[in-house]
Amino acid sequence: MKTRITYLQPPSSSFVSSQAHLTPHALHIDGLDAAKEERITVDVGEVSALVCTTLKQFHELHLRWATEERYEAVEPWGSRVSPGLHGGVRLVEVDEEVESHAVSPLCDILREAFDRGVYCEGILKSLTAPPTPLSESSASSPSSPSTTTHNYYAPLPTHHVVEFITQHICPLEVAGADCRRRAEAVQSADSIDIDYDAESQALVVSAYWGRSPTENGWTEEIAAPGGKHDRVEVGLLGTEKAVEAGEIKMGGLLGVVGVDGELKPTLFSFPSRHHVLDPQADFSVSFAPPTGMHPTMTISLSAAALETPPAPAYAECALHAYLSLPSYIFADKFQLMTADNLFLDSHHLSGLRAVSGATDLEAPDWVVSQWGSNWLLELATPEPTQFPEEWNVTIPLHLRYMRPSETGYRGVDVPWPVVFWACSADDPGVNPFDRTNLGWDAPFSPRTTFYQVNPSASGDRLVEGLDVPVLQLKERGLFGSKTVEWGTVMAISLGFLWVLWRLVAGAGTRRAEGEREKKAQ
Amino acid sequence: MASSRSVYAPTDGYTYPLSLTLYPRPRAASPTPPTHVTPNQTPWPPHPSPPHPPNPSKSKSTSTSTSTFFTSPTHIYTTALLLRLTLLLYGIYQDTTSALKYTDIDYLVFTDASHYTRQGLSPYARDTYRYTPLLAWLLLPTSLTIPSSPLLTTLLFSSGKILFLLSDLLAGWLITKSLVQAYGMDAPRARKYAAGWLLNPMVANISTRGSSEGVLCVLVVGMVWAALGRRVWLAGAVLGVSVHLKIYPFVYGVAIVWWLGGSGSRTPILSFITKDRIILTLSSLFTFAALNALMYALYSTPFLQHTFLHHLTRIDHRHNFSPYSTLLYLSAAGDSSASSSSSSSFAFESLAFIPQLLLSVVVLPLALAKKSLPGAMLAQTFAFVAFNKVVTSQYFLWYLIFLPFYLPLPTCSLRQKPKTTGAAVAVLWVLGQALWLHQAYNLEFLGLSTFVPGLFLSSLGFFAVNVWILGVVVGDLVALPSSSSSW
Repeated sequence: MKTRITYLQPPSSSFVSSQAHLTPHALHIDGLDAAKEERITVDVGEVSALVCTTLKQFHELHLRWATEERYEAVEPWGSRVSPGLHGGVRLVEVDEEVESHAVSPLCDILREAFDRGVYCEGILKSLTAPPTPLSESSASSPSSPSTTTHNYYAPLPTHHVVEFITQHICPLEVAGADCRRRAEAVQSADSIDIDYDAESQALVVSAYWGRSPTENGWTEEIAAPGGKHDRVEVGLLGTEKAVEAGEIKMGGLLGVVGVDGELKPTLFSFPSRHHVLDPQADFSVSFAPPTGMHPTMTISLSAAALETPPAPAYAECALHAYLSLPSYIFADKFQLMTADNLFLDSHHLSGLRAVSGATDLEAPDWVVSQWGSNWLLELATPEPTQFPEEWNVTIPLHLRYMRPSETGYRGVDVPWPVVFWACSADDPGVNPFDRTNLGWDAPFSPRTTFYQVNPSASGDRLVEGLDVPVLQLKERGLFGSKTVEWGTVMAISLGFLWVLWRLVAGAGTRRAEGEREKKAQ
Repeated sequence: MASSRSVYAPTDGYTYPLSLTLYPRPRAASPTPPTHVTPNQTPWPPHPSPPHPPNPSKSKSTSTSTSTFFTSPTHIYTTALLLRLTLLLYGIYQDTTSALKYTDIDYLVFTDASHYTRQGLSPYARDTYRYTPLLAWLLLPTSLTIPSSPLLTTLLFSSGKILFLLSDLLAGWLITKSLVQAYGMDAPRARKYAAGWLLNPMVANISTRGSSEGVLCVLVVGMVWAALGRRVWLAGAVLGVSVHLKIYPFVYGVAIVWWLGGSGSRTPILSFITKDRIILTLSSLFTFAALNALMYALYSTPFLQHTFLHHLTRIDHRHNFSPYSTLLYLSAAGDSSASSSSSSSFAFESLAFIPQLLLSVVVLPLALAKKSLPGAMLAQTFAFVAFNKVVTSQYFLWYLIFLPFYLPLPTCSLRQKPKTTGAAVAVLWVLGQALWLHQAYNLEFLGLSTFVPGLFLSSLGFFAVNVWILGVVVGDLVALPSSSSSW
């Protein structure tokens, strides 16, 4: 097991050497104001047999979880995902037989690591193909290229990754005591990544905190590892202004706990795929009431967010939003795929760039087996000379019918999208903090740099709640299911009989009239 | 003699020429042949009782100006065409200047499907294309673009709408022709009735927005015209095409077959099998089968799935005008829930086809077809739509096309009693929809849970209005003179 712990101090906070004290057995951190990433890498042979067997069925497994509370994402960990649980998997082979019997390895791992009640009916049923770019040619040929990657998303405010780590990853014996203690801290992490790939046979769990969960900063003891092959590396770093655009420069102290006698100073820079725009460049999300059955998502961007990011001059950049919509809410892809500029301009959209998942326009929520749908939209920006105070992008969405409820409504959560600039770039170099397989990066070439627009500080929760009107069914009351059933049956029967009666009565009258006529004659 | 004649008089003295042409075996020696009805003498409506001539309730203009309008075919068809062209141009204007479109979403579905078809793909590549490939083929010109000329491209894109609006005009012309030929009306009066279709803004609006119902309506009127004119094989062929296009016209098959019957043989079974009936059955089945075979050969399962099987498996849980919609939502949501309520309710909705088909396929055609074929078809359509599991406003067009055939009937209470029954039918029909639409607006746009009691009660209310109107129509048709013992 290898552990890498990186603290990143903001430029504003000071560091005194007493805040990090290295002894032969441990590193003591005291009141350190910093963002932090902790990454454990374990060989698949070291994890519990249960998880090991499950993992062996994957070629690749990438799980991403982010809290729905607002947090700071600082470089080099600038990339974000929408709040909730995201998955991207590639199976060694998809066994349809096994899949159809609900013994899905993915569902196993999701339930084991995140939430027992998470919606998952197997890879073939619940997962979706990753969004593939829509071009003129692919839009006209609906047969999408066969793909082996599958996507998943679920809104998930809480998780039990801590139990997963302590039960399945930390060594069982006493040696695992420190691992288990450290795992507890993951509960407060802002985002968690779990990655596995068959080539390296390694399982990597990373947790990120935008700042320390306590007011006084990080105060902890990082013990030297127990096992021979284990290693604990710690970095206490800060970022500096990089010389070249697109690079990140970091400097500070590095040390291997239990090996190094003292922390060593370091300074290095590397190209980065992900960057964060200035705090003023932000966005917020809202749904203008009344939302009805066709809510419109409004993304309000600040003027700073509309400025082309500081990419090299030759780079081509465009502003995007990537939506992960659970099955109860969806967009009409035919509406968004339109080439009609009047429609697009009125919504400040440039167009739909990629889509995948449950895009059926008619199905109610309860028949949709897929988790939902992903949408990559390119957003329009105003002319640089006339930036408004705020620029609103609107995305027309639609709600599916949901099951009846007692109140007549069902509350659902819609996560904020990820909003970012994507710029063309050179081949990315080696980055020790690189992050890929985020879902929204899939439609882009690897030679792309991303600049994250920050979620606005005005939003505490990066999730919007909506009330979906549904059929109201009260256990007691005038309009229960029985009333609907019998009311309908009565109405239909009476209507039917009325028409028959008109036929019979009319015929009777006619016969009588006919007889009268005959008599008169 | 003339003064004692009543519109209700069913006997030989009855002058209404309908019985002479509509019924298979008219008594040849009618004492008062229809020839006495001359265009100049007969005001509209056709059978005034002399002491109290009912006013032409709808037209406010003087009788001379109305008659000049309808005397020549030029006026009405030009007006109908201008009305539609104006709406078409306005639609193009709105579509190119506003984000809110005039064009119906269905038209985009058709034209997308045509686009795929032109590329050699299946029209079913377009989600929600649930129609025959014929429609996508008809609209192939809409998929053409002429980069050098945006105007021509727009015109080509609108060519489908132009086809639909021409269908409207053709339907109007066929109505006039049928009324003249079968009802023995003079042409101006026939045009006056056809105006209810030709100059109806709702009809013009629907076809210029790009809804294909106009094509179906022209086929249905064509079927009526062919049947009334005894072009039996043609009626059968058109019936086959119509059923291929939209399933519901199969109900008309029963009415036409029954109406075609003649008296003669004393054995009921032998007398039922007549040459006309065999021709109709074979020509309709052949057309229907040939079209389906062709489409199946070209597009195989997706064709079957989307044009036919979809209607068997669809859930129809969304709110619509149907009295069943709340029940269907309830049952659709209940069936799939693993922990459904313990009270296992009986699946009433699965029996919905029984009252619907009993009325529209069995009872109404058998009871009414021999009194008036178009009248029976109106009643069938009305029953089919009112008792259907899904009802949307475009279905209303299906029965609207028959009004010009029903209104001139001597027993039509809408025309006989325009101020009572006529007004009540119009007001209640509109009011029933308005109440429902208000509830639907509250749900769709305000997000209020109006499924119960709002939408539930208003859809039952609209159903009640519909069956009441159906009862009025049925009563009127039953009151028509019987065509003697033709069977």
